[in-house]
Amino acid sequence: MNGVVQVKPGMHSRGWDEVLPVLPPNLEKMIARLPDHILARLEEIRLRRDRPLVLGAGGQDFFLRRDGQPDSIPESAYITSGDDMEKVIHNISGASIYALEEELRNGYITLPGGHRVGLTGRAVLENGQVKTLKYLSGLNIRIGREIKGTAAALLPRLLDQAASNIHHTVIFSPPRCGKTTLLRDLVRLASSGVPQLNYPGRTVGLVDERSEIAGCYRGVPQMDVGVRTDVLDGCPKAQGMMMLLRSMSPDIIVTDEIGKMEDIAALEEVFNAGVRIIVTIHASSMRELTNRPALKYLLQLNIIQRFVLLGRSRGVGTVEKILYGNEVPPRR
Amino acid sequence: MFKLIGAILLISTCGYVGWQVSRSYAHRPVELRQFMSALQMLETEIIYAATPLPDALSGIAERVDTRVSSFFAQAAKELKTTRGSSAREAWSAALDRYRADSTLDRGDLGILNSLGYNLGISDRDDQAKHLRLTLEQLKMAHARAEETAVKNVKLWNYVGLLGGMIIVLALY
Repeated sequence: MNGVVQVKPGMHSRGWDEVLPVLPPNLEKMIARLPDHILARLEEIRLRRDRPLVLGAGGQDFFLRRDGQPDSIPESAYITSGDDMEKVIHNISGASIYALEEELRNGYITLPGGHRVGLTGRAVLENGQVKTLKYLSGLNIRIGREIKGTAAALLPRLLDQAASNIHHTVIFSPPRCGKTTLLRDLVRLASSGVPQLNYPGRTVGLVDERSEIAGCYRGVPQMDVGVRTDVLDGCPKAQGMMMLLRSMSPDIIVTDEIGKMEDIAALEEVFNAGVRIIVTIHASSMRELTNRPALKYLLQLNIIQRFVLLGRSRGVGTVEKILYGNEVPPRR
Repeated sequence: MFKLIGAILLISTCGYVGWQVSRSYAHRPVELRQFMSALQMLETEIIYAATPLPDALSGIAERVDTRVSSFFAQAAKELKTTRGSSAREAWSAALDRYRADSTLDRGDLGILNSLGYNLGISDRDDQAKHLRLTLEQLKMAHARAEETAVKNVKLWNYVGLLGGMIIVLALY
C-alpha cells in the first residue's frame, strides 16, 4: 500500500533569539535588525575568517551588507574578522577551549536550546586520529527548530494497536529531507502517548550519537522528546542500544543513521528482547537500501514492518511512501 | 611632661610605619605561596576535570585563603557577566582591582598577567604547559621574595623605631 501523507508544519519556535547572544555585539545587532520574515526562517549563520558572512534562510543563502541589509552579491558584504571569530568561540566555549576537546574532535558543539555549531580549522593528529582542532577558521551556527506535529499524521500508520506499541519502523530518505525532525517528533509522540488514538505512550530509549535528535546540552535534552524518553547522548549506537536494553528496560529503542554491521547486530539483540525499534537510514530508494550489505541482512531478517520514505516533493519532510513489511519482496 | 608624651607618640608612630613596611615584605612570600597553590588547583581543574573557566575560578575562590580568594571570585564574576570579554580581559581586569591591596610587586603581577594571555584559549596539554611555566616563575619570585623578606623585615622594624628615636633626640 502506497500513500502520501502531507505533513503540516507546526509552530516555528523562535530559535534565532537563543543563538544571537553567542555573536559579538555588532553582528548580533545587525542580524537582529533583519526583517521578521527572514529571521523566522533563519537556519544558518556561517562565519569564515576573513571572508563574507553568509546567512541561510529557507534553503537559500545570502550575504549581509555592512549596513545590515541582505544582499545576493558578496562585493559589499560584511567580512568576518578574526576578532569576531574569537569572540564567538569564546562565547560558545565559556572561555575554555580545553573543555571542548571531545566536541572539537567531533567537529560540532551543541548550544543550550539544542542549536549546533559546526567547526572547521586545522586538525591536530595523534597516531593518525584527529585529536583536536586548532586555528578555528570556519563556524556554522545551525539554528535547531523543533517542529512539533510533523509525525502526527504518520503515527496512526505505524501503530500496532494489538500490542499497543509502535511497529518496527525504518525511516529512510536522501539527506536534508527532514528525517531527524520527523524522528524527533515521532519519539515525542511514542513516548508521551496520543489519547485520541488510544495509545498511552511507551518507555523510549534514545541513542543520540550525534546529539541531533534530543539536542542535549550537558546531558539534558533541549528538545521535547517526550515524558518517557531516556537519552544516551553522544554514545556509539551499537554500544548504546545494548546499554539501554540492559539498564533502562525500554519498550522502544530509537536511533538514527544506522548502516554498519555492528549496528545491525545490536538491533538483532533488541529484536530478541521483544523491544520495538525506530531507526533512520540514509538511502533514496528501496533499491539503494538493499544494495548495502548490512541493510540487506536487516531486510532478510524480515522483521521490519514499516518503511517510511521521505522526500521534498511538497517541501521538506514530505512522506512519499509507506511500505508495509509484507509488501517488501523477500530477498535472498 | 608634654615633651615625654610627644616623644612616645613620635617613636611609636615611626615604629608603626617601619612595622608596616616590614610587614609588606613578610607578606609577599605568603601571598605568592597562596597564588601558587591556587594555580595548582586551577591546573587540576583544567587538566583532569576539564571544568570550564568560570566554574573553575569560582570553585577555587571558595577553597583558597580569603586574600587571594577575592581575586579569583572577581575574575570568575567578570567572565560570567561581561559577554564577549575574553579570559584575558577578565583576568587582567580582576588583577587591576586586586593590585591595590596586594603586597606583590610589579614583577609578580607581570607573571600573573601574562598567564591571562593564554588562559582558556588552547587544548589541555597547552594549558598545562602555560600553568607550569607560571608556577615555575612564581616559585623563583617566591625564593627572591623570601630573601628580601629576611633582609628587610628586621631592617625596617629597626629603621622605624630607631628613626623615631633619632628625631626625638634631635628635637630634644
